[in-house]
Parts: sequence; C-alpha cells; structure tokens
Amino acid sequence: MEATDIADAPLARVEQPNANGALAVTGARTEFQSKTELAKARRTKHALRDYGRGRRIDVKGVKDKKLRRNLTNLETKFKTAALKAKEAEILLENTGGFIEAETELERTYRVRQHDIQSEVAIEAARGKFELKLPALGPYVCEYSRNGRDLLVAGRKGHIATMDWREGKLGCELQLGETIRDARWLHNNNYFVVAQKKYVYIYDSNGVELHCLKKHVEVSHMEFLPYHFLLATLGINGQLKYQDTSTGQLVTEIATKLGTPTSLAQNPYNAVLHVGHQNGTVTLWSPNSSEPLVKLLAHRGPVRSLAIDREGRYMVSAGQDNKMAVWDIRMLKEVNNYFTRSPASSVAISDTGLTAVGWGTRTTVWKGLFSKDRATQEKVQSPYMAWGGDGQAIERVRWCPFEDLLGLGHSEGFSSIIIPGAGEANFDALEVNPYETKKQRQEGEVKALLNKLKPEMIALDPNFIGNLDLRSEKQRQADKDLDTPVAGIAEELRHRARGKSGALKKYLRKQRKKNIIDETRLKAEEMMKALQDKNSEKHEEKKAELGPALARFARKD
Amino acid sequence: MPGRQAHGRLLLPSSSGGPKKPARNMKSSRAKATSNALDAFARASEQVTERMPKGVRTRDIEEEPERPQKRPRDRDEDDDEDDDGDEDDDGDDDEVPLKKKPRKNAGEFDGFSGAGSDSDGNEWHFGVGEGEDSDIDSEEAFGDDDHEKFDGFSFGGTSSRKKKAKAEAEEGDDDLESLGSDAIDLAQALDQYSEDDEPAASGHGSGSEDDDEGSSDESSESDGDDESDDEDDPSKLGSLQNVVASFGPKGDDEDADMQDGSTSRAKLSLKDLGLFGVKDAHIKKSLRLMNKEEKATKPGSSKKLEVPLAQRQQDRLLRSAAYQKTSETLERWIDTVKHNRRADHLIFPLAQNAQDRGLDNAELQPLDQKTSGTELEQTIMAIMEESGLGPSSKPEKKDGEIRAEGAGLSEAEVKELQRQRRREREMHSREAARAKRIKKIKSKAYRRIHRKEAFHDAAAQHEALAAAGELDSDEEREAQERRRAEERMGTKHRESKWAKLGKKAGRAVWDEDFRSGLGEMARKNDELRRRVEGQTRGSDDESDDGSDETADSGDEAGKLQLLAQLDRAEAYDDDEPRSGLMNMKFMLRGEALRKKENDDLATQIRRDLESGSEKADSDAEEADVGRRQYGMGKEATDTKAANPFSDKETRDPSKAEHGATSGRVGGMKLNAITSQVQSLPEPESPPPTAPGAAGAWSVAAADGGRKSKRKIKAKVDELELTDSAVLATRPSKPKAKQADQTNDADGLSDEDAVHLPLAIRDQEMIKRAFAGEDVAGDFEREKAELEKEEDDKEIDNTLPGWGGWVGDGISNREKQRHKGRFITKVEGVNKKNRQDFKLKGVIIAEKRVKKNDKYLASSLPFPYESHQQYERSLRLPVGPEWMTKESFQEGTKPRVIVKQGIIAPMSKPRIG
Repeated sequence: MEATDIADAPLARVEQPNANGALAVTGARTEFQSKTELAKARRTKHALRDYGRGRRIDVKGVKDKKLRRNLTNLETKFKTAALKAKEAEILLENTGGFIEAETELERTYRVRQHDIQSEVAIEAARGKFELKLPALGPYVCEYSRNGRDLLVAGRKGHIATMDWREGKLGCELQLGETIRDARWLHNNNYFVVAQKKYVYIYDSNGVELHCLKKHVEVSHMEFLPYHFLLATLGINGQLKYQDTSTGQLVTEIATKLGTPTSLAQNPYNAVLHVGHQNGTVTLWSPNSSEPLVKLLAHRGPVRSLAIDREGRYMVSAGQDNKMAVWDIRMLKEVNNYFTRSPASSVAISDTGLTAVGWGTRTTVWKGLFSKDRATQEKVQSPYMAWGGDGQAIERVRWCPFEDLLGLGHSEGFSSIIIPGAGEANFDALEVNPYETKKQRQEGEVKALLNKLKPEMIALDPNFIGNLDLRSEKQRQADKDLDTPVAGIAEELRHRARGKSGALKKYLRKQRKKNIIDETRLKAEEMMKALQDKNSEKHEEKKAELGPALARFARKD
Repeated sequence: MPGRQAHGRLLLPSSSGGPKKPARNMKSSRAKATSNALDAFARASEQVTERMPKGVRTRDIEEEPERPQKRPRDRDEDDDEDDDGDEDDDGDDDEVPLKKKPRKNAGEFDGFSGAGSDSDGNEWHFGVGEGEDSDIDSEEAFGDDDHEKFDGFSFGGTSSRKKKAKAEAEEGDDDLESLGSDAIDLAQALDQYSEDDEPAASGHGSGSEDDDEGSSDESSESDGDDESDDEDDPSKLGSLQNVVASFGPKGDDEDADMQDGSTSRAKLSLKDLGLFGVKDAHIKKSLRLMNKEEKATKPGSSKKLEVPLAQRQQDRLLRSAAYQKTSETLERWIDTVKHNRRADHLIFPLAQNAQDRGLDNAELQPLDQKTSGTELEQTIMAIMEESGLGPSSKPEKKDGEIRAEGAGLSEAEVKELQRQRRREREMHSREAARAKRIKKIKSKAYRRIHRKEAFHDAAAQHEALAAAGELDSDEEREAQERRRAEERMGTKHRESKWAKLGKKAGRAVWDEDFRSGLGEMARKNDELRRRVEGQTRGSDDESDDGSDETADSGDEAGKLQLLAQLDRAEAYDDDEPRSGLMNMKFMLRGEALRKKENDDLATQIRRDLESGSEKADSDAEEADVGRRQYGMGKEATDTKAANPFSDKETRDPSKAEHGATSGRVGGMKLNAITSQVQSLPEPESPPPTAPGAAGAWSVAAADGGRKSKRKIKAKVDELELTDSAVLATRPSKPKAKQADQTNDADGLSDEDAVHLPLAIRDQEMIKRAFAGEDVAGDFEREKAELEKEEDDKEIDNTLPGWGGWVGDGISNREKQRHKGRFITKVEGVNKKNRQDFKLKGVIIAEKRVKKNDKYLASSLPFPYESHQQYERSLRLPVGPEWMTKESFQEGTKPRVIVKQGIIAPMSKPRIG
C-alpha cells in the first residue's frame, strides 16, 4: 500500500562527487538484463524487503561441503518463503486508503465527521456514534484485541462493556469507587479494573472474580497477551507483573522514579514503557530490576506514550507541550512537535496514524514516521481533527481492524470515523474480529498452549536460541558459586521421608521408565552403598549375637 | 596347436603308460651316475640361482593382479567431489612400484626370445612376429625324422624358416656331440616329472584357465618335480630340480647366460650328466624335444605351459575380477544413492515404477501444424484448415511490400532506402519547424513591443489628461486597490461564515441570491487561480529563455540578438539531397509556399523591430509590478533581509531576550508572509536555505542527505535550549494546529496573524514553567555517574596493620607504602564501549539479564562453523502463522513419504 508508492532505489548507486567532480558509480550494471529478468529481480527485492528475515550469510566461505549444501538450501528456502509470501499478497483483498486532498487549497483536516458519514457505506457510517454519559466523570475506553468489544470506565465508578457493532450491552456496573484504569484481558470474557485501592478482575457478566490485593493503588495497567501477564503500575511507582493464567505474581519492580505518569507496551517485544514525572521514559522487562533503557524524552512529565505495532517508533506527549517521535530501535529522537496544550493521550493505529488527544480536541496525524523512509519528514499539518465542543479528552484508542477512533472524554464516549486507520486485512489465525464462540474458546486454548514465558521478554525478542557469546571464564565468573548444586543425590538425602523411602521410590519409578542417565546412576550408586551398609550392619549384629542366635538378628 | 599337442602326447603317454617304469629307471640310473650327476647338479645349481622359481612366480603373480587393481583407481578418479572422502589412495601408492617391475621383466624376456647366440658363436634368430607357424613347422620337421638326419633335411618355406632350420640343424649337431651318458639321467628325470605331473596337470586342467592349459601344464612340470624330488632324496635331487626348473620359462637367468656365453643348453647333454652310453631312443627323442623347446622361446609360442597359480592366488584373482565387475555395476548407482540421500523428500512407491511412467501428463498442447504428429491429428488439421477454422499453414505475409520491393536489392541498399525515407520524413516537417521558430520569435517580439507601445500610449494619454487637469490620480489608485482587495475577499468568502452557514442550511437550493454569490465566488476564484498560474508560467518562460531578459534590460542588445536569431532561423536551410518524394512537383510547390510564408513573417518581424526601436523606451515594466508583489515582491526580499537578523538572534540568546518584542514581531510578520509564499509555487524563492523562512523543520525535511540532516539536527538541539529557538521552530506546528482548531471563517494567513502572539506567549510560559527543573542536566549527571560506576575499577584490599604497623606515630610515607599492596581489578564496561556512548539523553543498561540466559545456546551445535550460520538457521519459522500455507507444508513435510501401493525397488539408476 504505502510501501508500493515509494519509488525503488536504483540498483546502481551514484555517490557524492569526488574532489575532481567525478562521480563514482557503485554496483553499476554492465551486463544486459532483459525486462523479465529485471522485473524478477525487483520482485525478489521487494519480497525480501517486506518478508525477508535478515541478511543472508555468506555460504561460499563454508568449508564443510555438507554444511555448505545445507546452508545453501536454507537460503533458498528463505527466499522462496519470502517470494511466496509476496505472491500471497493478492489474497489480501481489501485495500486501505486515506482521504486525499484534490487541490492544494483543500485540507483533509477540514473534513467533518458528518461529511464522511454521508459519503461512506452504511455499515461503516454506523461506526460513528456517541455515548452521552456526562454524570460519571471522564471515561477511559478500551477495545478488545479483535476490536469487537468496547470497555468504558468512568472515573466515578461506572463501567460498561458492549459489543459496539450491535449496540449490545455486555454488562454495566456501578462500583461506587474511583476507577483509575480498565483493561480487557486476553479476550472479551474478562476485564480488569484498577480501582481505588486494589485491582479487580471481572467476567463478561460483571461478576467480580478476583481481587488482586498485591496490586495497591494502581494507576496504569497493561496486558501482555502472548505472555498472559498483567502489568500494573502503582502510584508509588511499583511495577508488578501478574500471570493471569496461573495467578502467580511474577515480578515486583520498584521504578524508583516517583509516581509514574504513563504506561504503554511495545507490541513487538512486550517491553513496557513507563513515563515519569521528570520527562524520562524507562523501558522494563520482568527480568531485570533496572530499566533496560532510560531516555529523556521531555522536559516535563510524560503524559502519554504510544508505540507502533512493529515496535519501531514511539510517540510520547509531555507536559511541556511537546510531542516527540522516537526511533526506539536506534534510540534516537526522530522528530519533535509542539502541541497547543499538553496532550492527554496518544494512540497509534495499525496503519501508523497517530491520534493525539489534547484539551477538548483530538488531532490525527499521518506519516509521523514511516519505516520505508531513511529520514523522517516533519509533517506540516494533521490528517484529521475532531472536537472543540467542550469535552476534555481522557483517552484515545483505535479500534482494531476498523477505521474508527474511540475517544473517552468527560462527556462520555465518542467513536469517530478516520478513513484508513484500520488494518484492512485481518489474520484470522491471529485475531479474528468475526470469531464465533467456539473459535474464541479454541483460540483461548491455543493461546495458552503457545504462552510465552516471562523470561523470554527482552529488547530483542529474537534472542531465543542464539549462542551465548560469553567466554568460558566469564561464564564461570558469572555463575553464582553460592547456589547449591541441585542434584538428585542431595535432594534424596535431604528428603527425610521415612527410611530411605524416597530413594527407593525414586528408583522404583525410574526403573519403570528404563531411562539410564546420570542422576539415575547416582541414585543407584547410593542405593547400593545403602544396601552394603545395611548388610554390613546385619553381619555385625549376627556376629554380636553369636552363631546360635544369629538368625534372630534383625534386618533393617 | 598340433606341435604342442604332439609334445603333450609324447609326455603324457610316457607318464600315463608306465607309471612304475620311470621310477625304476630312476633307481637304476641313480646308481650309475650319482657322482657325475651330483657334480652336474652342483654346477647347475651354481649357475641357476634360487631365484629361478621365484622368477616364474613373480611374473605369474604380478602380471595378473596388475589389471584388477587398476580399476578401482579409475573409479576413484571419476568419483565426484561430494564423495565424503571415504576412499584413500594408499592402495594405489603401493601399486605403482609393483607395476613397473613385471613390465621390465617381460621386456627382457621378449628381448631374449627374439634372438640369441650360442656359446659356440652360433647365432639364431626367430621371427618375432611370425606367431605359431614357425613352431609348427619346426616341430613337424623334428617330429618327422627320429634319427638325427639333419644334414640331408631340407626345410621348405620362407627364407627365415630356412635360416632357422639351418640354425637348428647346427644345434642338432651340437646335441649329437654332447648327447652322451647324461642323456639317460635327464630323461629319467623327465619321466619322473611327467609321472608326477599328471595328477597335478589334471588337477589344473579342471581349473578355469582352459586357455592356458598347455602352458600351465608345462610349467607344472617344474612344480610337480619339486614335490617328487622331495620324496626321494631331498638333498641331492634338490639341485637337479633347480636344473630342471631352468627349463621352465625363464626371465632373468637366460640373459645372464647370454652374457656369460655359456648357455645351460650347451651343458645339458647326456654327456654332461655323465651318461655316455645311452642308446635309448626315447630318451634321446625327449631330450631333443627339450632342446627344441628351449630354442622356441618365443613369447607367443612358448612350449612350456606356465605353472598354474596356487589356489589362493587364483581365488584372489577371481575375487578381484569379481569385485571389479560388481563395483562396475554398482558404480552406476552411486549417483542415485547420493541423490536420494541428499533429497529433502523421498516418495514411495517410486515414480519410475509407476504405471503411468513415460506418459506425458503435462499440459495438453494446443494443436497446430507443428505439434500435429499423428495421422489423425494431421487429418483434423487439414479439415480445419480447409473449413477456415484452424490455423493456416501458410505463413502470414508481413510487410510484404517491403520484402517484394527489397527482393531485388541487397541489404546495404535496403538500409540506404530506409535511411532516405527517414530523412524525407524529417524534411517534410523541417519547414514546419522553421515556421514555428519564426512564430516564436515573432510572438515574443510582438508581445513586448506591443506591451511597451500600449504602455507608452497610456502614459502619453495619462500625461495629456493630467496636463488637462481631468484626472484624479489618487482616486484611480484607490479604485485599483479596491479591485485587488475584492479579489482577495472573494477567496475569503469561500470559507466564510456566510458560506458555511449557507452550505449547512442548503441555501443554494432555494436562495437565488446565494447561488449567484457562490457563482461569483467561484468565478473570482477561478480567475485568481488563472492569474496565479499565468504568472508562474510567464516567469517560467522568462527563466527559460535567457535572451529574453537581456532583451528586456538592454533594449538595443536584445534587439540585435533577436535579429540574429531571425537570421539564424532564415538561414535554417539545408542542402541535403532530396528524396524522390520530395522532388515531386506538388511537394516542391507546397514547400515553396511554406517557405514564402516563413520569409514573410521574418521580414515583418524585422520591420516591427525596427519600428519598435524608435518607440521603445528603457523604463521598467510597471505592468508586472502589481502582480509580482503577490508572489515575491518587496516583502519577499524583506524576508531575505530579515533572515540574517533572525539567524543572528538565535545565536545570541541574551540579546533575543532583551529585544524580544521587536524580534518577535518581526518574526511574526515574517511568518505571515512566508506562509503565503509557501502557498504559491514561487520558483525564485529558495525556502530551504532560509532557516527563518519556514521553520527549522523544513530545513531538515528538505535535506535529503543524512549527514547534513544530522548536522542540522544537532544545531536545532542546541538551539532548543535557547529562547529564540522557539521562534525558529515554532511557526510550523501551531499554524497547522490552529488551522484546524479554530473553525473561524478566517483564512490561513489571518489566523496566523491573530494567534501567533498567543502561541509565543504559551511557549514562553511553558519555558518558564519548566525552567526550575534542569531535567537534561540531571539526566546527564546520572549518566555520567553510571558510566563511572560501571567502568573498570580497582579495589584496594589492603588491611590496615597487615604487614605493617598502624596507629599513632606512623609516618605518612609508611602509610602510603602500605596503601596499594593488594589491589583487585574489577572489569567493567569502558565508557567508550557503552552502547549509549554516542546517544544523547539515553542510558542503556549494560548489565546482563541473567534470566534470559536460559534461552541461549551454551555452545555452537555441531555442523555449524560460526554462530551466524547457526543463528541464521534458526530464523526460518515453522509455524503456519508466519508463512504461507505452501511454505509451511513444504517445511513440515516428512522426509519419507509412503503412499499406498506396492513399493518395488528401484529398477534402474535414476541418474546417469
């Protein structure tokens, strides 16, 4: 879509002119290539750009013939897989598109919602709706992962879930307690609410299932769907990870930077980004007690954070009337924008549209970042705009797979149409907006089976299986020498359960399995030693008792 | 081989006829001639060395295995490189010296067999290439006369034969002389051989080597007699054996004999053996035969059969031959096996055993003339063709004309023809091109001249009027300005409250007035746009043609230039040869007409120019001024003038703070203007180079180069801290934001003008609000601290009092001496090795995340040579979520797929 619009880089590159004005051309094509060949080369290039998996390795240097052959085959597999994926693009039957200005004098941000509503299809036009809930304070909103269900939570204790497409209310609760945040869990059956003191989990009918008493005064929450981790950030700066499938509290980390102001997750690597009062943004994983990265994004508190779905760019809005775009792989600030007033919420859609809620207005920006461009352009004017009717925006959220932007504000909730915002083609294996009950259940089981461990979270999620590049010396040094050697022998020795019962039991079980390994050998050795000892004892006893009474010696 | 057979029979009956008799003979003869014989044997054994049997054996053994062992080597060589080195060349290396030896022997043998000389100086020569005829002849000859009448015998045949016969006759004399007492003994010995020989010979005869039967029989004589002698008297007969063995096929010894000049044959007479009075015809005969055999040592016609090899050797040979054969057959499979071993997937039952093998199940080809193979198809094709449905067999005539025309011409001529045609086409449009040129010149000149004329007229009129006092110049100017204002108003109306309200209410449907207003607006808008576009086009034109501008500024020079151009255009003629078509009359006429028109035009322009030069004035064109102002007038130049100022301002923050109001006002104005500039495509204004013109972002955006971008970014960063940077970076965003936030009816520029001060105030307030916290400074300090903390460290472990005194009265020097005695170095991360070394405002943790180590591979798995290779091999996903279905299935396909059916073995090698 957007990628195709960009012209191909020429195969030959002309570098900067030399001192004498001569141009050095690298990679000039000297041999003749037919049109089809060129087209094929281009197609391969595009395929590798879009679906390739890293740079290919040099096969020629490999000495072992068999390995060389295998690696060559592997490279071919990579290439064919990429080409196949590119070819399969024709199956993506829906195309996205944006509003475009016809002339220079036209501005897309001048287009009003009712104009769009009158132009789009009826089904799409239905996406524009408003929930007028003026009484119970500013509302936060969340969409479920497949974009089907909506969760709105008012600050003054009002909670409602609904299937927004059908306008069907799921449940409605009045908690009578301050609500700071609310989230869906892995599907629309459970949601979690950060209330005045604790965090509670409710089911789709509004029944309270759990009260998480270890999460105290939580102000922000995130749910990591692939790890089944609920991350909460308390007012005291405690970041806690709770496994929602097992119920275990995985980690508690003190951020040590005071009351946090914002929280967002990177969908690419499940790293949490926390914004702080002093303008820093820290990146956290449950595996380290210190932030992986700490960056200074703003001069004042970081009001809101959002990360694009590929995990390349982060948009942060601060109290200092600034909106910063960061490349979070290079950890460099890409661009810097001024907001008229401090933005309260930022969200990035699947297609890279950035919604910024500030004051009573919401602006949508297009092209703040693009992975296809080497240098990011500073955008001049927004793509769409909304608001100005006196509702203070509390939260903006994009509806997945729809061209809709949900706005939670002081007057309730509004859903507006932003053409081109949603991913046009969904992957039903991943999340299915049209799933049936059965599919949802199956998906839940599958997701649980594919659940990732918290230890797999790192800045680079592809680290799994990589080679440990530490030297042996360093590894030895890193090894904690105080940790007890975990061996079956020790375990069995210390498991004082009856008289050597543990060992016997263990061996009995092992014999059934018929697997001989180190631990079993050790155990058998121990068993034999034990038996020897016993028989020795027995002999001693016999000797003690004398020949006549020897038969009365008791065996242990 | 009658000769041989005869010989064989002679031997055999003697042996088979009386098995006991030779033994008796042996006994009797032994009694008589022990001393002599022993003497002879001793001598013979001296001459004939122990090597003798070995010579035979080595030759027999080594000549044969040479062949089979060569084969595997051949196989080795053509084995492909992928063969994983399972065969080593050791065997071959051993083979090489062995191979050489037997060859040498054979050569010597051959050399001997060709020619020889006696100890007496008698020389003989055998026809080398004659084969067996000579043998047969000689044997027949000797077989015919039993009683040594050589003198009278004459050989009929070739000269060589004669010679041979003669030589043999001479030898026969020799034999006669020497034939004495020894003869009996030898004959006995021979009889003995034959007796022992029989079972051995028959044993060998049952062997596989039927071809070599004769030779093997013969050689078995010597072998066999070994055994028999051992039975009788090993010590004495041993030497006899050696002598007898010398009759067998010899290699080295015989040439040694030659050199000595004393042959064993000469000595081998009955006399030598001490048997003088032997009269037995049988013995003599056999002796003679023996002699004869010796002489007939031609390679092909060796009378003595070679010794059959030992069973083990034979078996070995057989095995090697069998191995060779089997390896030959198996070799054909190697490639196939390798291929299958490497194949990603194997499918059973094999395709080659499938029932539809050989059938082409590819796509059906469309039927046409070429592909119609069978008779039926051809018939159908013919019918189709007749009925006009099918493809016609005749090749379609393409550009038949050319071919017909060019049929008689050579290739060069055809080319020439084509070139001429092309030229004609060009020529045809040449006059038209000339007309165009002249018209252009004319139009330019005309426009300018007429514009100037009109201007002069108007000025004159105006002057006249002013002189008459009829004109109020102020009023007129005002009217003009009003007109311009109205134009601008028109655009404003479009977004005005009135227009919006009207639109909302749908007034256009019913309100005539509103509709007319809209129409008027649209017209104005259109006109305005046209004017804008027209102007830009005009300016384009100007920049396009440099001569025009010069003509504007310097009138005379420009005119001259125009004239020169005209001249050139007129001279635009050619004297190229004309083609046939162009030479035709009507074409010529037409061209002449066109030429005339062009000439007329040119002259008219000339005239105009000359007349215009009189009228022309050197004043600046005021007609342009009003319009120019719109895009780039004095204010535009003002921006240029303002830029250095703003730039300077940003450099000097203190000054900027003091003179904030003035500077900002200027900046604001500037922005108001430049926004207009942006909205219009103005070729002459260079926005990227003016930092103040469009804000810092445009600079960054316009710069494509990464390097320059970084530089500018750095600069912006630097500026951000200063006050005036706000000014530099602000305008872009607020302007854009404002545009949407305010739904006022005002246009863009007006908005800016109204709201910018507010924005500035906001920025200022924000600046002040966050001035108290030095966030950036804190961050930098924190980073520096961390860098220091994680750097390499030296820890002093010295205990006070350890190895020295502590307490009062210890000199400082003493204390110092004990200070750094036990230092441990803790390796950390050097500042320059930190990941965030070059990143500003970023701290990256250098600490290792231990929990992640669980998922790292501790050592490089076997076949990989580097971790890149290994990690690359992990990058290909397996799951269906990450790849197409096809790739997924390909990736998860089992290696061996067994389908239903009979799995027959491969019937033939697949490859090769």
